[in-house]
Amino acid sequence: MKESPYWNPRHETMPRDQIEALQVRKLKNLVAWTERQVPWHAARLKAAGVTADSIRSLEDLRRIPLMTRDEWMQAQLEKPPFGPLLAAPEETAIRYHLTSGTTGRIPLQVLDSMKDWEWIAEMWCYGFWGFGVRPADIVFFAFSYGTFVGFWGAHYACEKIGCLVLPGGNMTTEARVKQILSMKATVVCSTPTYALRMAQEAKTMGIDLAGSPVKRLILSGEPAGSIPATKRLIEEEWGAKAADTAGMTEVGTIMIFECAQQPGGTHIIEDHYIEEVVDPATGDPVGYGELGERLITSFGRGMIPVLRYRTRDLVVRVPASTCTCGRTFDIYEGGIRGRVDDMKLVRGTNVYPRAVESIVREFKEIDEFRIHLYTADGRQDEIEVLVEIPGSEDANAARILAELAKSLSQAHEGLRFGVKKVENGSLPRFELKAKRLQDDRTVIGTAGERRVTA
Amino acid sequence: MKNTMGVELSDSERALVECYQDLVRVLRESQDLAPFERRNALKAVAALWQVVNGLDLDPGNIYEIGA
Repeated sequence: MKESPYWNPRHETMPRDQIEALQVRKLKNLVAWTERQVPWHAARLKAAGVTADSIRSLEDLRRIPLMTRDEWMQAQLEKPPFGPLLAAPEETAIRYHLTSGTTGRIPLQVLDSMKDWEWIAEMWCYGFWGFGVRPADIVFFAFSYGTFVGFWGAHYACEKIGCLVLPGGNMTTEARVKQILSMKATVVCSTPTYALRMAQEAKTMGIDLAGSPVKRLILSGEPAGSIPATKRLIEEEWGAKAADTAGMTEVGTIMIFECAQQPGGTHIIEDHYIEEVVDPATGDPVGYGELGERLITSFGRGMIPVLRYRTRDLVVRVPASTCTCGRTFDIYEGGIRGRVDDMKLVRGTNVYPRAVESIVREFKEIDEFRIHLYTADGRQDEIEVLVEIPGSEDANAARILAELAKSLSQAHEGLRFGVKKVENGSLPRFELKAKRLQDDRTVIGTAGERRVTA
Repeated sequence: MKNTMGVELSDSERALVECYQDLVRVLRESQDLAPFERRNALKAVAALWQVVNGLDLDPGNIYEIGA
């Protein structure tokens, strides 16, 4: 029997009118479920005059009110820990995950049931299978396996596909490189930054990764997986093909993946999501080829319905026909292009400057601060917080720095923050709009690039 | 058996759907399953739900049986 290049051949090659019919039916079901199970959503839908019966076409989607991350966070604060957003009892959950919040220490927290968790892996299967990963593959995950959802779903997707899975948590970079080679891994999963970090470490160890059995890299967590120059560098250093994917904790998994044809963008998994692209200022839809903000409606995780969620991600949607793979799922050309808001992605972790500020402000001794992002060794994203602590003895200052570093890390899924004391009065003061974030990172392939070569 | 898009399912697909339906029915109706029976059946249902969903049969949510 000829092997299909598609995970779900019927859906992935469905004519566009049928995809839309499928989406309308799923949307109707989702609205009915949400109305029935989640009073918080039901009130919003009712206020907008939306009922399941009134959903007849994708045009009706636009009558559903937008949902923001701030609203989600606020709902959690009002009814901790998950907010009034659960559509099923907590007892049915088998997984808990979180992502750093937009403000302060409170993370965005989610639950998944057994069926939902299986669905999360299912979405990753579209991506892995679509990029050519097969049961004979040996897949190494350079991933910390913590409460951040990250590659968790991908791990289970590879088990489902039948691959041999190598869970590379809690290892040094050197140990990871060694295991990739000793176990003859054929696929490596990591952030783009960390793929480069491993390549750098391999060089230090005198290893030529391009000669290794690794044939594919699956990248996620940062936009760089779709930045051509970065991707090219990763592919050169590993002697392997690299595919971009992108997901979010709010839906628990990926929404987009790059297929084996590598069309310069990522296919949207349109049988499980409705993705809209709108003008972030007006909310009006933008056309193919225009930059806009992604809105997502997910048909997957029934436990926490997501309807027209504002992702703040900037994308450019183009027709499926721009790829030759035969899929009828549209594409985000260039993957995720950037952010509408001030969120920064640092080694796969979301960092909101206002969340950092609220933690810094818990330390009354700190007079002024700056968040500094930079590129270490030409390729590794680093974040440091520079603080002024006037009138503080060295021992006290050292304690504050240590406590602040710990608090920041805890609020950001264990992300390492450098925290440094700087001379009093050395940081700028602001009268109006403060600009305490300085992003000096270089994007490989751009002007000002600082690329480390062998 | 046709799905909600009007597509006729193959014999193999229909067999998988029936397997899912049988498992759900057993989990709903049986009170005497041992832990190893119930929990393994739930895992199987969670996986087969993906098949039924992918075949456009609108399986809905199944939290009431613990999946």
